[in-house]
Amino acid sequence: MVSVHVPASIGLRGSGGYRARFMADQANFERDALQYSRQLYSAAMRMARNAADAEDLVQETFLKAYRAYDTFTEGTNLKAWLYRILTNTYINKYRKDTRRPSEVDLGDVEDLYLYRRIGSEESADAARTTEERVLDGLVESEIKEAVESLPENFRLPVLLADLEGFSYKEIAEILDIPIGTVMSRLHRGRKAMQKRLWEFASQRGLVPEDAERP
Amino acid sequence: MSENCSEAIEQLYQYLDAELDELTASRVRVHLEDCSGCLDSFDFERRLKVVIRTHLEEEMPEPLVDKVRELIRNERQEQGAG
Repeated sequence: MVSVHVPASIGLRGSGGYRARFMADQANFERDALQYSRQLYSAAMRMARNAADAEDLVQETFLKAYRAYDTFTEGTNLKAWLYRILTNTYINKYRKDTRRPSEVDLGDVEDLYLYRRIGSEESADAARTTEERVLDGLVESEIKEAVESLPENFRLPVLLADLEGFSYKEIAEILDIPIGTVMSRLHRGRKAMQKRLWEFASQRGLVPEDAERP
Repeated sequence: MSENCSEAIEQLYQYLDAELDELTASRVRVHLEDCSGCLDSFDFERRLKVVIRTHLEEEMPEPLVDKVRELIRNERQEQGAG
């Protein structure tokens, strides 16, 4: 098994000092950690892109977390700690399996890509109708495909923010990258996703042809 | 599009992600009250975010948690034996 650096704690914002730190007890692991299994599985599915690998990822994550649980500081961010183990496990597997470089660049996409392409020459009311049609009409498989088609270094920040709702600071700690990098990857990843969603929407005729806001 | 608009759009994601400090966020809010164009685009992005989140969630196969519990139980026994 690939060894993964398991941090003792995450998000120890301003703690320390006079407050004693308590290491977590393995006996409480199931009670404390397993509540995140459904969420971890959703993220694992978007990382691994198939159910068998996602299940493996979740199992490996919990096993590693259990083994390291006595190094986790009680009262700190358990969810982020588990996600860091999940992410590291995924990255190690992925790199070993495919040898693809993890740093891929995305072409630059303008801000508000999707919004600006919806309804222009029409009236404001017609644009509103198209917005509704796109937001209601995009189906699950298209959204999933749009995320999964992102290169790994953009996909992970987008998943952590948009699926899990982690803060930029938490994402920086989970992925071990600077917060400015989180912001730029998130920004560009989301715009690339919108470009893909626009392609789906136009392929399926959800938007009028040549509709673009000025 | 005014200078205020481009500034607001630049801060759109941080605003929707609740990452702006209170002062900057309130400046964005003031602009949105005055500018229906920006308000409309912020509203669209906010709704898109909800749609994306909803569609990314995955139904977990029920036996998975049992498998994890079993793995942990085995691990505990091995630790106890070792």
